[in-house]
Amino acid sequence: MTIRLIGYAFSGPVLRVIICLKELGLPYELEPPASYQSLKDEDYIANKHPFGKMPVLFDGGFRITESRPICRYLVSKYQGKHNDTILIPNDVHNAGLVDQFISYELSYYDPPISKLFYQEKVAKRFLNEDPDPEIIKQAREELAKVLDVYEKLLEGKEYLNGEYSLADLVHCPSTYYVYGIVTTHSGLWDSRPNVKNWWNRVYNRDVIKKSLEESKSFWENNENI
Amino acid sequence: MPIKLIGYAQSLPTRRVILTLNELGLSYELEAVTEIHTIKTDDFLANKHAFGKIPVLCDGDFTINESRAICRYLVSKYQKDAKIVLIPDDINKVSLIEQYISYELSYFDPPLTKILLQEVFNKRRGEPIDEAIVKQAREEIEKVLDVYEKILVGKDYLNGEYSLADLFHFPCAHYICTDTQQGDIFDTRPNVKRWLDNLRNRDAYKKTYAE
Repeated sequence: MTIRLIGYAFSGPVLRVIICLKELGLPYELEPPASYQSLKDEDYIANKHPFGKMPVLFDGGFRITESRPICRYLVSKYQGKHNDTILIPNDVHNAGLVDQFISYELSYYDPPISKLFYQEKVAKRFLNEDPDPEIIKQAREELAKVLDVYEKLLEGKEYLNGEYSLADLVHCPSTYYVYGIVTTHSGLWDSRPNVKNWWNRVYNRDVIKKSLEESKSFWENNENI
Repeated sequence: MPIKLIGYAQSLPTRRVILTLNELGLSYELEAVTEIHTIKTDDFLANKHAFGKIPVLCDGDFTINESRAICRYLVSKYQKDAKIVLIPDDINKVSLIEQYISYELSYFDPPLTKILLQEVFNKRRGEPIDEAIVKQAREEIEKVLDVYEKILVGKDYLNGEYSLADLFHFPCAHYICTDTQQGDIFDTRPNVKRWLDNLRNRDAYKKTYAE
């Protein structure tokens, strides 16, 4: 039975799972919901996601929600089965550090990026709100400080934990949204040599480039921006 | 060499790690951080936590930070010698536990943190409490707890058996009960109340909060 992934391919968290499925060489079927409103239907809440969110993954009878746990599940179950891509190393210390870097993405990296992307793309397109220049300025400053830390973390390293891992993968959607789609702020990455090289290395993985570029057309179809 | 935990015992992320250490029956030394400038030095940023945060755990030569990552590491390494299962072996069960940990991060913690910032931290700094923020955060957490009330139907713990997911939720929830005016949000929901009371009564929790 094929893995079913419920969600829109252009949504960041869904894209995270798509990249992970592809990295592990796993076939899947994408089922876009009827609409954003349908995520709040009683049926969706009871049988898919109790908080009315996406993605949701079904593997046979097993259902799991939330993008990073879904990725962890896929790695636990399928790593090494279809190819030899290692996303979470087996030894306890390296696995711990990969986990630590995944936590950095959640705690420090994603928040200012989400604010920027919301202001620059989502607000106008979905809510007909004008971008707030104060929020953009503050989010940019916050992101610059985070990237200064990443610049040091990546000194002498190709990837966050030395070798490519789930930690690098989880950073993809949000980075691409601001670096590759909005582009106004791409200088924040490009002006930091370690960060620039890291992102280019990650982005140029076949699976990642392809998955990210497929999502681009949705966001580019916007006459307002 | 004993495990060294750099942190502040009353901080929620540090509590998460102390609860885990106590559940696993591990001894450790707490290096208490009392002044914030000590975690912003070049040396701390280079060798302990790149973002200048606590907790940080040093296990021999190995250093790891971020509370949930630290706890998972401790379980991976030491659970087999402990009398408790915080993360089971079964892949599906583990994954659901990770899902509940994500719910804690995404939905449970944020509104509770807003309330704590107002009613505990602002109060401590002599700054006024913004009642509008408290009201909005309370409405948000009430909706979240309605979902938890359903998740906990017929269950004592989120994934049926006690796990790391339940542990992660406790520090924030407990702080709301002990230090704010909003603790009734848990008491008015019988399944949620039973869940938190079960946790509160565990030896490791009593030990953690007695210190």
